[in-house]
Amino acid sequence: MPIIDVRNLGKTYRTIEKENGVKGAVKALFRPQYREKVAVHDLNFQIEAGEIVGYIGVNGAGKSTTIKMLTGILYPTTGSVSVLGHDPQRERVANARNIGVVFGQRSQLWWDLALIESLNLVANIYEVEPSRYKQLLSHFSEVLELDEILKTPIRSMSLGQKMRAELAATFIHEPKVVYLDEPTIGLDVMVKQRIREFIKDYNQTHNTTVMLTTHDLGDIEQLCSRVIIIDAGSKVYDGPLNAIKQQFGKFRTITFETNQPIASVNLPPACEQLNLSEFSLEVRFDRSQISASQVATAVMQQLDVADFTLNEPDLESIIKHLYQNPTAYNEVGTRG
Amino acid sequence: MDKLYYRLRIYRSMVSINIKEVLAYNFWFWSQIGAHVLLTIAYISFWKALYSERDSIAGLDMQQTLTYIILARIVMPLVQWGYTQEFGYWIREGTISSELLRPVDFQERIYIGHLTRTFISLVQQLVVVGSLALFVFKISLPTDPLVWLSFLISLLLGCSILFCFDWIFGCIAFYSTEVWGLQVVRGSILLLFSGVLLPLTMLPTELQTIAKWLPFAQSVSVPVSILSGMTPLSNLGSIWLQQLAWLGVMFMLSRLMFNFSVRKITVQGG
Amino acid sequence: MLRYAKLYWHFVIQRFKILMEYRLNFFIGSISTVLFQGASLVALWAVLRQVPSIQGWTFEQILLIYGLLTLSKGINHLFADNLWVVGRDYIRPGQFDRFLVRPINPLFHLLADRICHDAIGDFIVGLSLVSYAMVQLHLPVNLASIGFIILMVISGGVIFIALNLITAATSFWIMDSIAVTNVVFHTNEFAQYPLTFYHRSIGVLLTWLVPYGFASYYPASYLLGHAIGWMAWLAPLVALVCITIAYRVWVLGLRNYGSTGS
Repeated sequence: MPIIDVRNLGKTYRTIEKENGVKGAVKALFRPQYREKVAVHDLNFQIEAGEIVGYIGVNGAGKSTTIKMLTGILYPTTGSVSVLGHDPQRERVANARNIGVVFGQRSQLWWDLALIESLNLVANIYEVEPSRYKQLLSHFSEVLELDEILKTPIRSMSLGQKMRAELAATFIHEPKVVYLDEPTIGLDVMVKQRIREFIKDYNQTHNTTVMLTTHDLGDIEQLCSRVIIIDAGSKVYDGPLNAIKQQFGKFRTITFETNQPIASVNLPPACEQLNLSEFSLEVRFDRSQISASQVATAVMQQLDVADFTLNEPDLESIIKHLYQNPTAYNEVGTRG
Repeated sequence: MDKLYYRLRIYRSMVSINIKEVLAYNFWFWSQIGAHVLLTIAYISFWKALYSERDSIAGLDMQQTLTYIILARIVMPLVQWGYTQEFGYWIREGTISSELLRPVDFQERIYIGHLTRTFISLVQQLVVVGSLALFVFKISLPTDPLVWLSFLISLLLGCSILFCFDWIFGCIAFYSTEVWGLQVVRGSILLLFSGVLLPLTMLPTELQTIAKWLPFAQSVSVPVSILSGMTPLSNLGSIWLQQLAWLGVMFMLSRLMFNFSVRKITVQGG
Repeated sequence: MLRYAKLYWHFVIQRFKILMEYRLNFFIGSISTVLFQGASLVALWAVLRQVPSIQGWTFEQILLIYGLLTLSKGINHLFADNLWVVGRDYIRPGQFDRFLVRPINPLFHLLADRICHDAIGDFIVGLSLVSYAMVQLHLPVNLASIGFIILMVISGGVIFIALNLITAATSFWIMDSIAVTNVVFHTNEFAQYPLTFYHRSIGVLLTWLVPYGFASYYPASYLLGHAIGWMAWLAPLVALVCITIAYRVWVLGLRNYGSTGS
């Protein structure tokens, strides 16, 4: 049985169209004109125990709306969600005991309280058994290096400290399912790395199911074996991360630096110009149709090239390509 | 002359921004008016009940008292809120440090905005509470334009005095974050000693003395007494002189207090 | 139930720790409500010392009404002050989300999140007024009268909370409800004085629509021996009806939460 079971899930927002001025406001009060906006449309997926799933898409694609419906914050317009057999909206309390949520941009802790006080309160809310709480606290203090900040109020913490505190508060009741909404946003490399390791470690030792939204593809590459991509409210890809990589691994890019300003350039077939500035040109080509040396030769015949570099594809450029070319999804195929 | 013209242009743009701001908070604004009208009705009813069995209280008959009360209700929203919460907000958001770098004096800028909002508020209150007085409670308002003009001048002076006081009081926000509580403290003192609740002559003499030495009466009791006919126009000269003296002292103190307090930010780095 | 009581206690302790960190704030907050009530009362006294009574009501009798209302208001102020700012401080900045992912009732969480100590002032003023009035009016101070007052003050407090809960729930639709709460809440000021002072329609309004009258005028009339019959005992029922309706509206709002786009 899947841990998270999403069937035909949809969410439509209704906003009131308001005209300007007092007259408009009064009119909106008595005869409101609604405008409907579909945020999520007919979403289906199942997530099994212990999976770490990356849930990605551009801003406004419907990521947050989905997470909010999975956690029970928003009521769906259509379809259903089941998390460990519970309906997150109707069985809010039962569901809440099983889940942990991190909203990367907002704190769930008390602004003026020292971290230890906040954690005590959270443990009380989740009814964590005192001896277990003690164990977990000392464990988290170690792996998240909380000792230095236990007595600090949240308001005077740095961004990285806040996120470490946030994670401790999210995992203190040992949730079976964890939703992480942008957990590494705005953090420096060191903190990011520590947080990824924490999540990975916790997932492996507790078999916790994790759903992660992020704009940082480093998170995805290091944590997720499976990726769901959502665009304009609909699922466009659901499958292993490797499949995307293999499919799009056939693309390479070459960056040329020139001595003379570049006027124009004719590229051979199966090539695409990505970036062009005065002294630099970036070309993407399909490795299965044309070789790097053929591309380089063609370009060097036309331009006075000083230097060039061949780039391996990274996930970022793959995803970027996917976003920019919706038809490309078909090339990868969808699962689910 | 050019400098004056330049100043006026700055002021004009500030005024228009403030008008837009007020209109943007329509909903809040109407609710304030609604609450104010409700309280005015409660208040007038109370005074009418009070006069139902007697002709005069502290030498004032019902018509005089009701006129005073309704005019005080018109002025009240103008003086109700100080600047304590704004100060708290400016300090928290770091606005003050950046404001100090601007070419226009901070206090001057806020003062212009304050006067604009006060004026808008006055017009609105005149329309809303004024019609309530005329049509519901049948209380007649004065008609002599000279009385209105004197009232307006006295009110302008009074509101400026209060603005300087609020500037001083707001500076406490540099030392405490409990700005809401501070605002309530200020509001409470104002309630009793400004004359918004009752004509000050009804207070016991000791309290009247205290009221005389506090700036609040300058912005409510003094102008409203002129408009309601309790103060004869022949006294205007000495009243305005007194108000100007108040203004001078309060203005000096507000500058001193602000400059002193603002050091707390620049020293501690916000 | 026991669990919620324990949890509430934990919230209270944490709140107290925060308050102790800002001691000056604690002091200012407590004194501010005393001052505010005090100012209104001095004004009332200044007027009433010059007249023996208004329409048969003496100064002390009015104080009894005023004091009972202040106590009820204090209950609302202490336990439910967060209802005022739920839109501005929780829903708009997205802070409300965290209440919905925790295994406790979101309304409980919201109320427990900020217990407002400023209410101390209301209780000091309210208690002093009621005691003073009872003594001055030679009203019997016994178990029955004290029990009656406690019952009425709690009912009144629940009425205050219920009305604020209804207006607070509007913030699920309009984001910030302070403006709505502001208008409805202020009608309570009518209930500071005998309802007979006003036009009949206002009396009906304060009894059946915004029933603040049950927090002040009716219990005071009963204590003073006025013949108001069963109206004297209606407050608990009214409170129950109000809070039930209010909670329904709240739950309805909760269903609508976030649906206006983010």
